[in-house]
Amino acid sequence: MPFRRLDQSNPFLTLGVVVVGWLLVPIAVKTFTRATFFELTAPMTVAASYARDLKEYWTLRLHSNSELIAAGRDLARLNASYEFSVQQNTELQSEIARLDSLLRLPSFTDYRYEHARVARRDFSGWWQRIVIRKGRNFGLPAGAPVIFSGGVVGRVTEIHALTAVVELISSPEVRLAGVVEGDSRPISFQGGVNPTFGPPGGVVEFVPLDIIASRNNPKRLVTSGLGGVFPPGLTLGLITRLELGADGLFQSGEVKLDERLGSLTEVTVLVPLSPE
Amino acid sequence: MRRTLVLSLTLLLLWTLVAEANHLLTGLRVYLFVGALYIAYAALAQPFRSGLAASLVGGLICDANAPGSSFGTHTLLFAAAHAGVFHLRDRLPRDDPTSRVIIALLANLALFLVFSFSQMHRLPAPAAAWPRLFADLVCSQILLALIAPWFFAVQSRALLLARVERETLA
Repeated sequence: MPFRRLDQSNPFLTLGVVVVGWLLVPIAVKTFTRATFFELTAPMTVAASYARDLKEYWTLRLHSNSELIAAGRDLARLNASYEFSVQQNTELQSEIARLDSLLRLPSFTDYRYEHARVARRDFSGWWQRIVIRKGRNFGLPAGAPVIFSGGVVGRVTEIHALTAVVELISSPEVRLAGVVEGDSRPISFQGGVNPTFGPPGGVVEFVPLDIIASRNNPKRLVTSGLGGVFPPGLTLGLITRLELGADGLFQSGEVKLDERLGSLTEVTVLVPLSPE
Repeated sequence: MRRTLVLSLTLLLLWTLVAEANHLLTGLRVYLFVGALYIAYAALAQPFRSGLAASLVGGLICDANAPGSSFGTHTLLFAAAHAGVFHLRDRLPRDDPTSRVIIALLANLALFLVFSFSQMHRLPAPAAAWPRLFADLVCSQILLALIAPWFFAVQSRALLLARVERETLA
């Protein structure tokens, strides 16, 4: 029998050494290794994202002039209605500020809006995350809320040099307080199971007994503003099913999230202007 | 060292392609997992030490792009799978491409199941997650069966181009 080195003749011994070595490595070294390997793969992610943008650009270049004129006309109409909404908003904001000062209420956190392209979406049965093309270079803080036109996307969990990772609200690791629109009692929301070919979902707990929701009569779930991360009133999803919990005091149920979460291409990070 | 580096670069290529495929499939809520491809060629056709090093690098690449709380899971699982396949390789027809694909499929099944069980504590309703995971597993196995011969050829060719192996040995 030819001579074989110990590690080759007994691979499980080497495996044991690797496992023990891994357990003994300090957390700081592991964190550094993780960040290093993420930055190693980041150029691939960003390059692929730019390649997709370029492809989209050349696809759009194929549109005819008449199509562009029609799109411009529609956009002008939309802009007109938005300008009217902005005027109304300004009026309402000044009214809120006046009432806040009269009642001496604590003001909400102000945010800077940082728009970012989605470089990579990563939705497995275990987690749902996206990588955006802005990071430390744009002053994004960890924990910042991320939104899109349909409501809440999630929150920033990792900041890297040129990218940031956002944990989606459909991810099981995300938990936050919400309220049913028009109600003030907080409800616990958690991302949940995301079935194949189906819309993303979540679960709610501690729902008061007098709230009724069903598939035909869903209730809109919005952020409560509690906890200070998300501003109040942002859409989380629709409560489509509620049933009595095991304790009989509260209900629990399912939340249907926006299907567009699965095809996000651009999001907005709310960067607090006065971070604590 | 050069062998490990070349194998690691091919694993980086694999990660990039699979990540891109997963990005495009998010609308369908399908996720592809091809963990066995990070270890199969290295365990079946390479010396133990450099093959294991490449598998560990592959695991670290996957771990760096997974949530921080599970850092190390891919690395240790890939190391265990590598050791297991390497231990059995003398008793397997490892030079036959079909056998290599079958070994990769079995290793992928084991890696997927073990990884799923390790992540179950994060889910609010673990039992409800299994249909989704089963669908992901089926899609992953189909993809792996389709791309494994190509990827083994890429790895073999990369070693030849880097002059780590000679034509007759590859």
